[in-house]
Amino acid sequence: MMMNYRYFQIILIAISFASCEDFLPDERDVFDPDVGFVQTEFKPLLGRNTLMDNVFNPANSSRPMDFEIFNMRKFDGSPAPELTENFPVVVWEVPYTGEENSLEEIEEKRGIQYRPLFSVREHAGDFLMWSEANSSFVRTLPDSGYVFNVSVTNTGGSRIYENFRLMPQRERPFEPSIYDPYVGVAEEAYVRPLSVSGISGEESGRPLFNDDIEIYFNKNEDMEGVGNTLTFKFLDENFNSIDPANFHLTDWENLVHGFNMELTEEYVRYKVAYPIPLVELNTKYTNSSGERAHVVFSYDRLNAGGFNEVAEIVFDFAIYERGHWEIIIIFPNESPAFEDY
Amino acid sequence: MKFRYQITLFLLTLIMSLNVEAQNAYIVSGRVLDQQSSEPLYGVNIIVMMDGETTNRGAVTNEDGKFSVQVPSGGSLLFTYLGYESITREITGSGSDMKIYLKESIDQLDETVIVGYQEKRKEETTGSVIKIDAEDLAETPVANVMQLLQGQVAGLNIQNNNGTPGMMGTILIRGISNINVQGTGDQALLTPTSPLFVIDGIPIEDPSQYEYGFNQAGPGLSPLSLIPPEDIADITVLKDAQATSLYGSQGAYGVILITTKRGESEVPIISYSSDFFVSTPPQLRDVIIGRGERMSRIHQIIQYDTSAVHAYELVNQTAILSDSLNPYYNNATDWQRLFYRTTYNQSHNINASGGDQEFNYKVNANFYDSKGIVDNTGFTRYSLSMNMGYRPTEKFNLSAYINTSLGKNSKGSGNALAQTGIAQAANTTSLLPSPSLYTASNETLGAVSIDNDNKTVGVSASVNLSYELFNGLRLNTATGYNYSTGTEDTFYPSLLQNDNARVFAYNRTSESLYNRSSIQFNKTINDAHNFGIYLNETIRLSNSKSNTITQVGLPNDEIWGPFGYNAALSYGSADAGVESRSVSFAGSFSYSYKSKYVADFSYRLSGSSSQGPEVPWTKSPSVGIRWNLHNEKFLEPIDWLSFSSMRASWGQTIIPEAGVYDIYGRYITNPFTYNNQETISIELGNLPNTALVPSTSTMWNFGVDLGFFSSRYGVSFDTYYRQTDKILRRKTIADINAFAGVNTNETSIVNYGYELSFNAHILPATSKWDWTIAVNGAWNKDVLAKLPDNDRQIFNGGEGEQPVVNRLGGNSLSNYLFHSNGVYTDNSQIPVDPLTGLPYRNGGTLAPGRFFREGDPIWTDINGDYILDDNDRVIVGNSQPRVTGGLSSNVRYGPFSFSTSASITLRRDIINSAIAERFQSFSDPMSENALVPIDAYDFYTRDNPSGAGYPDPYDFTRYALYTPFRPDQTLFQEDGSYIKINSIGVSYNFDRDWTEAFGISSARINATANNIYTFSKYSGPNPESVSGLGRDSSGGYPNSRDYSIGLNIQF
Repeated sequence: MMMNYRYFQIILIAISFASCEDFLPDERDVFDPDVGFVQTEFKPLLGRNTLMDNVFNPANSSRPMDFEIFNMRKFDGSPAPELTENFPVVVWEVPYTGEENSLEEIEEKRGIQYRPLFSVREHAGDFLMWSEANSSFVRTLPDSGYVFNVSVTNTGGSRIYENFRLMPQRERPFEPSIYDPYVGVAEEAYVRPLSVSGISGEESGRPLFNDDIEIYFNKNEDMEGVGNTLTFKFLDENFNSIDPANFHLTDWENLVHGFNMELTEEYVRYKVAYPIPLVELNTKYTNSSGERAHVVFSYDRLNAGGFNEVAEIVFDFAIYERGHWEIIIIFPNESPAFEDY
Repeated sequence: MKFRYQITLFLLTLIMSLNVEAQNAYIVSGRVLDQQSSEPLYGVNIIVMMDGETTNRGAVTNEDGKFSVQVPSGGSLLFTYLGYESITREITGSGSDMKIYLKESIDQLDETVIVGYQEKRKEETTGSVIKIDAEDLAETPVANVMQLLQGQVAGLNIQNNNGTPGMMGTILIRGISNINVQGTGDQALLTPTSPLFVIDGIPIEDPSQYEYGFNQAGPGLSPLSLIPPEDIADITVLKDAQATSLYGSQGAYGVILITTKRGESEVPIISYSSDFFVSTPPQLRDVIIGRGERMSRIHQIIQYDTSAVHAYELVNQTAILSDSLNPYYNNATDWQRLFYRTTYNQSHNINASGGDQEFNYKVNANFYDSKGIVDNTGFTRYSLSMNMGYRPTEKFNLSAYINTSLGKNSKGSGNALAQTGIAQAANTTSLLPSPSLYTASNETLGAVSIDNDNKTVGVSASVNLSYELFNGLRLNTATGYNYSTGTEDTFYPSLLQNDNARVFAYNRTSESLYNRSSIQFNKTINDAHNFGIYLNETIRLSNSKSNTITQVGLPNDEIWGPFGYNAALSYGSADAGVESRSVSFAGSFSYSYKSKYVADFSYRLSGSSSQGPEVPWTKSPSVGIRWNLHNEKFLEPIDWLSFSSMRASWGQTIIPEAGVYDIYGRYITNPFTYNNQETISIELGNLPNTALVPSTSTMWNFGVDLGFFSSRYGVSFDTYYRQTDKILRRKTIADINAFAGVNTNETSIVNYGYELSFNAHILPATSKWDWTIAVNGAWNKDVLAKLPDNDRQIFNGGEGEQPVVNRLGGNSLSNYLFHSNGVYTDNSQIPVDPLTGLPYRNGGTLAPGRFFREGDPIWTDINGDYILDDNDRVIVGNSQPRVTGGLSSNVRYGPFSFSTSASITLRRDIINSAIAERFQSFSDPMSENALVPIDAYDFYTRDNPSGAGYPDPYDFTRYALYTPFRPDQTLFQEDGSYIKINSIGVSYNFDRDWTEAFGISSARINATANNIYTFSKYSGPNPESVSGLGRDSSGGYPNSRDYSIGLNIQF
């Protein structure tokens, strides 16, 4: 039996030899050398939430990967605490749907959290810039801005990308904008509507086009309280106000996602939550991409041929800054005709 | 069923009746019979013994097993016969009706096997070899004998996943050897790696290309289907590198040797066997039909459409829903019954054989006809084969073999792998009328009215000459020629083709010539040292070419070309012929000492046209040793251990994978390379690579064979480590190059595992019952060891597909799925992006329907960007089974025998697209697909918004935007383990004395049921009917369940 024992020992040794796992590569997360950022220079607009996504190509790496911004500094090398320190920012906690029935309901969906104004999504590699960053304390173009490094890690490896550039652009509080993105100087005083149709001049009877209408964004600094109103005014060629009631086909109730509408002879005013639109989502208040609020002012009248003609002014806009904003629509060349011909 | 080398036992007690006469010499006569079958044994040596010593007197039995011999008083008779246990009988008087029953040798080690073209005793084999007798396989008529081997050999993983008559499933020896995937989604197929099949010493055409039934044009018949299973004598599976090392340059995936029957009896034996069998389709799925279907659709639309007005508009616009009084839409058609059927089939085989030592012959004629369980499909085989051996002297030996066969099959409207047309047609709404000239379902009509006619003709012939120059030195040459031609003719009637009747013809010819010449020298010194030297050279030439022609716009449905077609619509193609050559030189040396210690060495040098000119020769060495402990003195006292031996081997084998075009490139007519002018240019898809080499497999094997209690119990254990290197794989190269990709040999896989076989005679020899049982199991793990460019991970496939991940160190083929985590039951559970305020959504162009809402599946947002895309997939699952095995049992009592076999596959993951498709059938209530009841599943509905297993299947308006039932999610990855009862059979041997009155020497009837039941937790249709990548697709051809009755008569 002694022999038998030895013989089983040999089997055991041979079996353990056969389990050659130790000679095989480990199964671990993979960091593909082909990974990389497709964009290393970021120029977000201040004053609005900016998501810089799809900037990282993970190639065949294992996901999720960990991303971290470090050594955030001004271009001259001095530290940039304004971007790295936590700052109170307004975050969405419950999805906005466009169906909310009061300002409170909208505000309940948002909360305040402390976050750095510029950050990276921990596992996705998307860069975020919060709207609370503004040019009063963040360097903007044409300044050289900021430089930062990013580390990308997973358990299979890591890589550091250096000298990414962050060159924020000045706020443009509303769109369409009148400001030069680099220096912030207003190049125009007004913007034009998106489209105009069916409007005739009161005196000449000629059709009025885009060029005959100017739209001014005015932040009313005189009004009290938190800026949460939006007012539409119409002025004729003599800068006298036009009664909004003249645009009698306008769906005033659903013009913007606002509440407590005040419809007077001079203006129409809503209590609103900023920014407008609140979320880049297609709702009944926005254009199809959801990027801009979409308003239509409309009326009808009998025209020279005796036909009923529907007149429309279509305007898509966005306002990113809180305030008592007024949108003033002026017919500087000729007032529109509201009366039947 | 059992293995031949397995133990058999005495069933009957020895009957002996002797008349004692007081004489000096007795005349004894009688018969020698096989103990089990009671067949007469021809050529049994009978030697007269005196005082325990052999004398030079004796006799040999004749074809009836009869003998007559004179024995001096006090003498005895020794009966010896190859493969049987010898018996000695004391002779105490004359007798004329002595019956001697010889028992088949139960010593596994004395059995001979053929390894490396040389016959060897198993005791002297150092490799891992398993031999199976054809008579031990289930007596079920099958087109392809490999179907019967499922679960019979440890480490041989056979999945009968293609039920098309005449086609082949997947066969893997010791795990996968290739990770290349062709196609995507459900149709993704793993590049097949079939073992090499060698029939009577001549390798046949690579069956790999037929493994998926040649998923292209052509008949697609596996060459193995052309060999009648009735004509097969035994099958040997060679698993390790030592055993396969001499099998040319193609043995890397393992080798399976098939030997056909030979004539052995001086009086011609004519045996006839016939089977009638019924094939039944598997259980068809339930469908909702008629009014139930219509109401279900209408209810879904009204409840889930965005507005009631739109919902009613949709219902009213959809004629199948609103026009319920129209007879065209007012039906309850059972589409599945139109295609799936029960068929009655038959097979017949006649075998005539005879001969003696000097000359023997065999003729076998076979007819097999199986109609597929899918309408318009079937397979018929006619085969005639013969062989003969001529041995005028001990020195000279000539044998020849010829086999001609004709296979006819029809694939209906599908191809050899899938019946997609049928699957679509069977998925038609029950509201439409059954197919006729005036109905719309083209797939349906196509399935039954397409005329698909395929013929495969195979001729193979071989001649083997050997001559012994002087004692021990033998010269041998074997030449084989295979020729096969396959044609396909498919006719599409004009009503299916917009009045343009179409005919498609395909023609493929392939031939191969094989020659092997060898010198063999054996020498034994002092009865102890046994040397063998074997040198050989093999040449193999093969070529194949194919072409197709398609003629469209035939004059009418009766005239199928060649004239009168519309030339503008007709086209054809010619496949550039593929020619390959290989040559190799090999030598082996073996030594054994008193059968105690055995050592084998071999070395092979191969060159082939599929190797680049930079590396023309590949070397394949191998070493094997064996220690037969039972021949050692120290184990003699242990009498319960009847044999014990250990084997170890190492070796390298190769298989060419590259084609000649991969090496040298090819010129094609390219319509767009120069100024939109057609020019001849080099094909830019792949950069030629002159350094390509064959894939190399290096294998270590260690084995133990043990027998206990006079070999009543046998155990065999093997463990192996196989590294497959230099696997051919295409990699794409940077798009600044002219070429899109290049084939390189940079991939490696390792398989290691354990195999255990156990067989036993449960009952003692004294019992009247005989019960043998054989169990085997194999555990295999594959690990990816190298990828091109030293990558560690490659993702194949992406959005909308079912990607496969190759990851170093892990199993070679993992799934890459979305992680399912339940169903949202409330909108408040949906995560929101704090920056943008948008809820979690499905990736792609932003659209309101992509945002998740209640009733939608919860997919984990792995990277936390609130968008579900390819970055959120997880590597999970393994499509390759970890454990395979089987069990067979055979009970005999007198003339009755009862056998059963089962196979087992454990720990594999299947993506259950079948269930996904079930739910998807509700994705568009206006479409004319079949509705499958899903009541059995726990899913979310707006009426019952509880936490459920499956998401809401009814939200059709958004369906395409968020595809809740995408198959590539962990929700549909299931464990595909199963245990299948392969067959149960009963047979009865008629009493020989009774049948002889009719001139029949033996008669047997049997009844067998095949593919009986599969035990599995898998919720799809059948865990076996999945592709090599573990994808379950409803387009596949289901496996039938067969019941057969057979008769076997010998004259």
